[in-house]
Amino acid sequence: MSLEIDHVTKRFGTTTALDRLTFEVGRGEVFGFLGANGAGKTTTMRICLGIIRPDSGEIRWAGQAAAVLPRRTWGYLPEERGLYPRMGVLDQLVYFGSLYGEPPDRARREARAWLTRFRILDYADRRAEELSKGNQQKVQFIAAVLHEPEVLLMDEPFTGLDPVNLVLLRDAFTELRDRGRTLIFSTHQMEAAEALCESVAIVDLGRVVAGGRVRDLKRASGRRTLRVVLGGDPAPHWLESLPGVATVARDAIGADLDLLSTADPDAILAAILGHGSSVTRFDLAEPSLEALFIEHVGRAPDDEPAVSADLGTASVAAGGFA
Amino acid sequence: MRRRDPLLPNAGIIARREYRDRTRSPLFIVSTILLAVLAMMVAIAPIGVRLIDRQSVSRLVVISSDAELGTRALAVAESLLNSPPAGVDLATWQRPYQLEIGSDPETTEALLSRGLVAGIMLVERQANGGVDVRLRTAEGPTSARSQILSVAAFGVGVLDWSSRVPSGALAPFVTPTYTVESINTATDGGAPLDIRQAASRYLLGIVFVILLLISIIIYGMWVATGVASEKSSRVMELMISAASPRQMLAGKVVGIGSAGLTQYAMIALPALILLAFQDRIASALLGPDWISGAPLGGLTAGLLLGYGLFFLLGFALFALIYAAMGSFVSRPDDLQTLSLPLSLVAMAGYLIAIVALGGGSGTIVTLASLLPPFSPFVMLARVMVSAVEPWELVLSIGLLIAAIGVVAVIATRMYAAGVLLYGQRPGLRAFVTAARRA
Repeated sequence: MSLEIDHVTKRFGTTTALDRLTFEVGRGEVFGFLGANGAGKTTTMRICLGIIRPDSGEIRWAGQAAAVLPRRTWGYLPEERGLYPRMGVLDQLVYFGSLYGEPPDRARREARAWLTRFRILDYADRRAEELSKGNQQKVQFIAAVLHEPEVLLMDEPFTGLDPVNLVLLRDAFTELRDRGRTLIFSTHQMEAAEALCESVAIVDLGRVVAGGRVRDLKRASGRRTLRVVLGGDPAPHWLESLPGVATVARDAIGADLDLLSTADPDAILAAILGHGSSVTRFDLAEPSLEALFIEHVGRAPDDEPAVSADLGTASVAAGGFA
Repeated sequence: MRRRDPLLPNAGIIARREYRDRTRSPLFIVSTILLAVLAMMVAIAPIGVRLIDRQSVSRLVVISSDAELGTRALAVAESLLNSPPAGVDLATWQRPYQLEIGSDPETTEALLSRGLVAGIMLVERQANGGVDVRLRTAEGPTSARSQILSVAAFGVGVLDWSSRVPSGALAPFVTPTYTVESINTATDGGAPLDIRQAASRYLLGIVFVILLLISIIIYGMWVATGVASEKSSRVMELMISAASPRQMLAGKVVGIGSAGLTQYAMIALPALILLAFQDRIASALLGPDWISGAPLGGLTAGLLLGYGLFFLLGFALFALIYAAMGSFVSRPDDLQTLSLPLSLVAMAGYLIAIVALGGGSGTIVTLASLLPPFSPFVMLARVMVSAVEPWELVLSIGLLIAAIGVVAVIATRMYAAGVLLYGQRPGLRAFVTAARRA
């Protein structure tokens, strides 16, 4: 049982938003959909939900076309956050639950449980406009999961959350995964993806440029990072001249050395000691997700792409009254 | 293949939320109370007018070529019209009529047409010995004053007969003839209409058509604003995954339409109750000499039903377009510009309806009464003031329902496209493009 994105193409006018996009997400996985703004993430999610029709290709869940599956299969946390400003928080959650077919009593019970868990039960009867942005975001997340969807699609779920709420949300992700739910989220916060995802797809201009299990991606890249913390000068100027070192990223405590695939860690350690420095930390690690992203896309996730492809709005499927 | 999204229950859930959201807002409650008070004031206005009228004196002129007959008619009319009601203080009671003998019919007629005289009683003896009384007035034959004067005419006839027949002699009594000549005449397909009823129908017609225009524009804008604010607050993003555009559109139109109907009922009901009890209120305020009249004369259950039907269908047609429009703006402020053409279309329907109420029955009026979007206004007006063939009514309603079906399909498509458009200038081109693409 998996979600298959199968050669999906979507054009808006002359711009290609998705170009034969293909990847697969296993049931019960937490999947990171990584890309810069305009990569095609929102468009893909809207096609999953049946809001937009693809020009070609298909999205399937458990072998069935996504567009014919009942709405309650999906939970959706949009990037554009919004609630009914003057409606009470609990009323609002029961309303969205009802639209997904939840009986009001059950929706109310579930909503209260989630509000308690997110430490905002005191706001249950307040109007949404009286809540802080972070708390509104938590209410929106509850609205997306209240009906226990099989697949949860989230567009940039961590944006705007403080560290405490970030932990609350991550814990919720883990719990939902343990209950067998499939979670797919887009983000350009690589640390969050790194901490949560078993698999990722890195997309750029509507195409998957790298994808699969995070561990496999890192191994396949052949790149390694060496964390060194030295006594005395934490990041001396001669680090770049060490054998097999490609780039050096310095910080206040030490430096991260990006190694070439031919580099020999023993030779590097010997060279450092040869400079007369004492070594307090020497830690060989696989490359970060951010490094992988830069390697495949050619720029950091926060950088704007040359051409924006994620219009995602112009042509939309409609049910019609017929 | 597409997902099957039946209208219910989601459209019902959305409608219920929209209804509650509107009817619980302080603005709704305050405006409903204010308008209800205003409607009640309008309802009792006729009683107020009579209260003022009671203190004024109506002038009635009796003209006869026979001076003796004239004086007798004056005395009888005086005794009937100016008899003090039981229980009033005669010292302070003022006579409601000033009766006088007139000499020059032409001068008096001029006074009548200028409204300075309420009526002219022309009393003449006929060749057969009977008395002929003609009342020339601005009122109709069913008015209370005309009816009292018919009794007066009979009285004059009896007195005249008894005075002319020598004691003990037998002579046939000729019943006096009495006719009312209204100086204003309205016709309905050639047949004369009761002047009071025609005036009342015309007045009601204007009230109904204005109510229809106002409610379609106000409640239609509620729908458009509701959609636009869902977009501007971005809650639309959550809604589009929870419900289909068709469910959202139907829920919005039904929910907000019901809120509008509720407000309408809450405004109209107290006023209608007041009207139902107007006789009692009037006699309590004005005393027993109050001359009964009917401010809502001409209003029938059928007409009320017709108004309800054209309101519902007209609202559905316009509200669907308003909703589609609301989906095309990113901020509610932009709605004013975009909704102007639609308000103008409604206004055109209203203007043609006013022509129809004034008795206009040309091709344009007939066509507009059959064709949407003008038919709700114009057919309502025609039904109020003139006879409409049953087939015309059926055709008009049938075309309106068909138009609602077509507009619903197009509006759903535009809505589905519009709700995801952000930051674009709303315009006709975007509107048409979206409808064609969908």
